This record gives sequence, structure tokens and C-alpha cells, in this order.
Amino acid sequence: MFGAVRRLATAAASAQVSRLQDVVIVGGGPAGLSLLAALKSSHKTRHLKCTLVEGGSLDNIRTFGEDPPENYTNRVVSLTPQSVEFMQERIGSWQYINQDRIKFYSSIVAYDSQEKDARIQFDASMTDGNGVLAVMCENINIQSLLLSRIDEIGDSTILDNTKVLDIVHPNKPEINHDLTAEPQTTSPGLDWPIVQLSNGESIQTRLLVGADGYNSPVRKFSGIESRGWQYGRFGVVATIKLQYEDYRSIGWQRFLTTGPLAILPLTEDNATIVWSSTPELSDILLKVTPEIFVHLVNAAMTLDEVDLNYIYGVLKKDPTDTSVLEEIEWRMSKIKLSELEEKYPLPVSEVIDKSRARFPLKMSHADTYVAPRVALIGDAAHTIHPLAGQGLNMGQSDVAGLVEALEKGVERGMDIGSTLVLESYVSNTWPANSMLLGVCDKLHKIFSTDFYPLVLLRGIGMKSLNMLDVVKDLMVKSMAR
Amino acid sequence: MYRLSKLSHAQRTFFLAATASILGSMIFSENNTLATKMEKGQLHYKDPNAIFNKLTSEDNLYFKRGKPQYPGHVPLFLHEKILMVLGSSIGSYFHPERNEFIVGLGESTAISPVLRSLQTQMLSDPVGRQLLRERPRITSTSLNLEYLRLLPENSIGNTYIKWLDREGVSPDTRVPVRFIEDEELAYIYQRYRECHDFYHAVTGLPIIIEGEIAVKVFEFMNIGIPMSGLGALFAPLRLKRSQKERLYNIYYPWAFRSGLNSKPLINVYWENILTKDVNEFRAEMGIEQPPDLRNLRKEYFEKLKKAKKV
Repeated sequence: MFGAVRRLATAAASAQVSRLQDVVIVGGGPAGLSLLAALKSSHKTRHLKCTLVEGGSLDNIRTFGEDPPENYTNRVVSLTPQSVEFMQERIGSWQYINQDRIKFYSSIVAYDSQEKDARIQFDASMTDGNGVLAVMCENINIQSLLLSRIDEIGDSTILDNTKVLDIVHPNKPEINHDLTAEPQTTSPGLDWPIVQLSNGESIQTRLLVGADGYNSPVRKFSGIESRGWQYGRFGVVATIKLQYEDYRSIGWQRFLTTGPLAILPLTEDNATIVWSSTPELSDILLKVTPEIFVHLVNAAMTLDEVDLNYIYGVLKKDPTDTSVLEEIEWRMSKIKLSELEEKYPLPVSEVIDKSRARFPLKMSHADTYVAPRVALIGDAAHTIHPLAGQGLNMGQSDVAGLVEALEKGVERGMDIGSTLVLESYVSNTWPANSMLLGVCDKLHKIFSTDFYPLVLLRGIGMKSLNMLDVVKDLMVKSMAR
Repeated sequence: MYRLSKLSHAQRTFFLAATASILGSMIFSENNTLATKMEKGQLHYKDPNAIFNKLTSEDNLYFKRGKPQYPGHVPLFLHEKILMVLGSSIGSYFHPERNEFIVGLGESTAISPVLRSLQTQMLSDPVGRQLLRERPRITSTSLNLEYLRLLPENSIGNTYIKWLDREGVSPDTRVPVRFIEDEELAYIYQRYRECHDFYHAVTGLPIIIEGEIAVKVFEFMNIGIPMSGLGALFAPLRLKRSQKERLYNIYYPWAFRSGLNSKPLINVYWENILTKDVNEFRAEMGIEQPPDLRNLRKEYFEKLKKAKKV
């Protein structure tokens, strides 16, 4: 009878037991999905038991794959050829991409609003490679292709609509001196973190990967500090239609003092804009009528700052004031038509309804990407200013680095959660990311000033860099590799 | 390179000439010039528009005269502009009564950065923008003088016509701008020229040389046209001692104070405020009225006469 009671007691205790997994990825964004797909595609790590936990629903991603919406969504990213290659070769997921919704573009023109002649044009159409500088792709398209690949491979668990309630270190085991007791399935000696989910499950994992965004609970659990600052700017995104299809496939970026405004091409006559603006300006941009917004974007790409500031002043008092349209027309008439066609982007003709949104811009970098049994990838590790379009690409290179480190660990028969394995991930990716973050931060700071000597210097810098084709080709090649 | 100094003069000359010709022949060799042409697309392709586009944006404006941007525009080369500055500054110093020197000096010294900053100032102000859009011109026919005489006592229009009568001048048609590059900047300069009489009227300064200098300093502190600044520096050197004293002690301090403290005069739409009260206008703009120059001179001459008599 005592035996029966003891068995009942241990059964009750084992109801608390967690599932054991090798890798738990928290976060179903592009970084997390990419890591799962990569781990499952690589024959070295394919045997690892993986689970992905996502707080939101992945259904809209699945429906996107089957039945994509007519208009582009407003979160669009520029993928470098490196990221594309990673998705093609290592993950093998590029075959699932919705080809009609991606746009390969071959050059980018960046110009200054303070100096008329200061511009840089990067042209990859002549380089070997396939003449492609980058690919514009919707976020949701990327997630959908990764999810399709994961579904195709199977053998992994995806828990969506499941929030992470808590992450705990396992308690120190009480030493049970009764040698005849049933052995516990959760081995008390494990130092693996336990993830407690909102669906009642708890998972104990060898390696916990945080791909859960800027306010990462995984990073908080690991005690890794993340340092950086808010830029005090908002990025306003919108999907627009140009007047007609631009056969040149050029991306345009103008550095205004509030922040850069970029118009990036999509298929046919669609395009997407990202405008880093001050809080007041982003407020105005979201409040103006679509008609005024369209002309405001055109004005912001062609007119002088003094005109733009005047227009913002008028719109601040009344966001529906259409007298600004006459002002814009008058000032645009001062620019010669031939210059307008050659040097400035195609005018925008309409903005898609409800596609305007804004998000705050910040820079942050975690002190390190790993802790015992924890690794960070994507926005959990670093956030960057969108002016160079590198945020998601850095996440993909993180995934590549982490997969490489884990493959090496598995090959050598090591415990993949130990820092011995994970350190090589940090040393390969942290410095490069730090450099990119720093460069984008300095570019933002240099271009947001209107202090005349600095304006002159940066104008000279841009003009001379534009003339040195050799240097520009090197830069393009280093991005394409 | 220091070994060059150890060579004799003849050897040095030879060495430098040889280097120059070798490098020159490398840079300007036939292959390289053909390559430059090919890069520009002029080698293998004949541009059918070449007959029509005499001047493209690629052309170097240092060697080819630019196209006129507005009727009456005379595009100048850089060396021509420099000569104009030198010539008209000397001419206007010795013969300020001849208009062409003053005009030439004004237009050649009103360089792009100055006019551009004025343009920025005008574009940031709603009235300034209105001015730039509507482009009003002040000519002897555009202002109806009879109508101005009928306006109330203290209005700006009436002050203006009273000043014109007191000085015995008519609103002369100011010389059209010819040498300024951009057409909007040319209009801004023209507007500055045409409003000059209004500045006289509002401050009450007469057209004698002292008065003109005082108005010029006032304009320079407020608007920033370089010619008025040059006038303020050099023109008093030719005056008599009593005139200089009056200028330096009374009118220069007034001009500095008033010019800096008042609102930009270039943004005033004079044609629309002719019926406005002049004292109210002065208070709004922050313009101080200087002591009446003609009265000061009268008092001074009377004192002299009395001293001579005694």
C-alpha cells in the first residue's frame, strides 16, 4: 500500500514535469523562423528537437502564402544578395517565395537636401553577379516562405498564439535519499532553463534562443544588458503608387534634416516609402489627407528645406489645408523639367488607403549575444536606424553565424547550449554588427545637421565619392559578395 | 625633391619641362582622349539633338557663355564679374553721381550666397512668398501719385508722396537688373532697388549724400546687400568733417540700432499697406525715426553764419 501511495505521489509530482527539447526559439519573426528553417535544413543539426514559440498568430502568414492580398503590405524590406543566397542555399526556402511580389533593383541614388549637386549613385547593373543590388521583399512574404519550408520539412513544433509566461532556472534538486523511489523524468541535475507557456506547457531546453524583438524577455532572463539610445524620430511607412512604372528600377533616398526619405521600387508602378521624421512631422504625415500626402512626398523629394518647413508649419495648424498644393506646384515649377526627369524620382500619384503607419526609431546593441544556454538573434540583439535597410539582413547574418556555430558544436559532439559552442557565434557576428550600427548612426547624425561648414564638407565627400567609381564598385561588391 | 635644388638652373628647367611633357602626353594621349569620349557616349553615337541643345548641363560654364535666364539678362564669365567689381568700385568712389557705377557695383557684388539667403528669408515668410509669386514692380506708372496725395495725413502713401515733393524727385523707373544669374534672385534684387525710395520716406532721410549713406547703412544692417555695406565703409571718406561728425555720431548708431532691431524690410508688401498709419507701421517693424537731417544742416549753417558775423 505504501508503494501505491508513493507511486501516486510521484505521479502527481511528475505532472509538473517539463518537456525536454534541444532548442526553443522564442519569437516567430523572420529571424526566428529563419533559424528554425536553417537548423532543420542542415543535415548536421537536423536531428535537434526544436520548438518555436510565437505569441501572435501565424495564420495570416499561412493565408498570405495561399491567397496574398492585392496591395503590398507596408512593412517591406530590402534583402541583400547575401541574405538571398543564405535563403537559397542553406535553407532552400527561396523556391517558395511569391515571385510576383518581389522586385530586384540595381541602383540606388542618395542625395542631399542642402546641397543641390551632392549625390551618390550606386549602380550594380554593370557588375558581374546578376546586376542586382538588392531585392525588395515584404516581411510577410519572407515569413511565409520560411514557414512553408519549415512545414515541408516537418519534424519541428510550432506553437503560435502562445505567450511565454516566465522563464526560470530550475530549482536546485532536493536530494532524495530514498534509493527505492521512482526516478524522476526531469533529471534534477539539469541546469537547462524552463520556459513556461500560456497554454500550460513548460519546456526545458538545452538552448534557448531569443528572437523576440527589442523588449526581449529572453534577454532579460539572461541578464545581458542592451545599450543604445532612442533617436527621437519616427519611421513613417506607406505603400504608394507612382505615376507610371519606372523601368530604371532605382531606389531613391533623400537626406532631409529631419531624417532620410526613401522611395523604394516594387513591381509595376508600386513603391514603398520610409520617412524618418520628427514626432511632430510624423503626426502631420499621418493626419493629412491622402491627396496632400502624395504631393508632400513629391515635394519632400524635390523642394528646398525652407519651402518644406513653411509647408509643415501650414499643415501643423490645419492638416487639411489644400493651399499647400498651390505652394508646392509653384515651387516645383522653378525646377527645369529636364532636371526633374533626370535627377529626381518619379512623382507619386496615390497612396494606398490605411497603409500609413509609424514606428519609433532607436539604436541598441546587446553587450554580448550569448549567455549560458541562451543566444540572441535579430532585434533582440540589435536595432538599427532604417536608413541603410540593414536591420533584417543583420538578423539573417546572425542566423547564419549561429547555425555555423551550432553545426560545429554538433560535429564535435559538444553540448550546444554551452558557451564554448556559442562564443564563436558572438566573435563572428558582434564586431561586424557593431560596425554597421555605428556607421548608420554616424550617417544619421552627419545628415541631420544644417550647420553650414558640415554641410559643405559632406557635400564635398559625397561628390568625390560619387566620382570614384572604383570605390563604389568595391562597396557594392562587398555587400553582394 | 630637395635634390632638385642641388641641380643647376638649366638642369632644373629641363627636368621639369620633361616631366610635364611626358605626363601631359600620357594624360592627353590619343587613346585617353578617345576613351573619355567613348565614356561620354560621343564616340560611337551621333547625338541628333546636338544642333538644338547648344548648351547642356555637362558643359563647363567656365569656357562657354551661359544662356540668358530672363529678358535682359547678360550672362558673364567669372573674370568679367571680377573686373566689373573692381571697375565699378573705383568709379563709384570717385563719381558717385553717375548711376552706372552704383548699379554695376550693386549687381556684381550681390553674389549668389547673399541673394540666396535673402530668398530663404522671403520664402519663410507668408508675405515674402506672396511677393515672390506676384512679383509686383514699382514704377512711375504703377503708383498713382494723385491717389496718394488724397490719402490721409499719416498714411504710408501720403508720407511717401510728401517726401517725394519735399525732395523734388519723382519715383524714377529704376534700372532693370541685367547681371544676376538666377531669375528669382534677379527679381529680389530688383525689388530691393525699387523699394529704396520707400525706405527714405519711412525714415525721413533726404537724398543728399549724407542721407543716402545713412539709408544705405540702415539697409545693410537689415537686408544685407554687400554694396550698401561697401558704401557705408568708403563713401564717408570723401565728406567734409562736419558731415562726417554728424554721420558717425548720430546716423550710424541710429542705423545700426534700427537696422538690426527691426523686422526684415524685404518682406514688406508696400503696395498693399499704402493706407496704413505710418507710426503704427514703424512701431510694428521696430523702426526708429532718426533726427531730421535737413533741419540739422540748417541749424549748423545758421550757427556758422552767426560765428562768421561775430
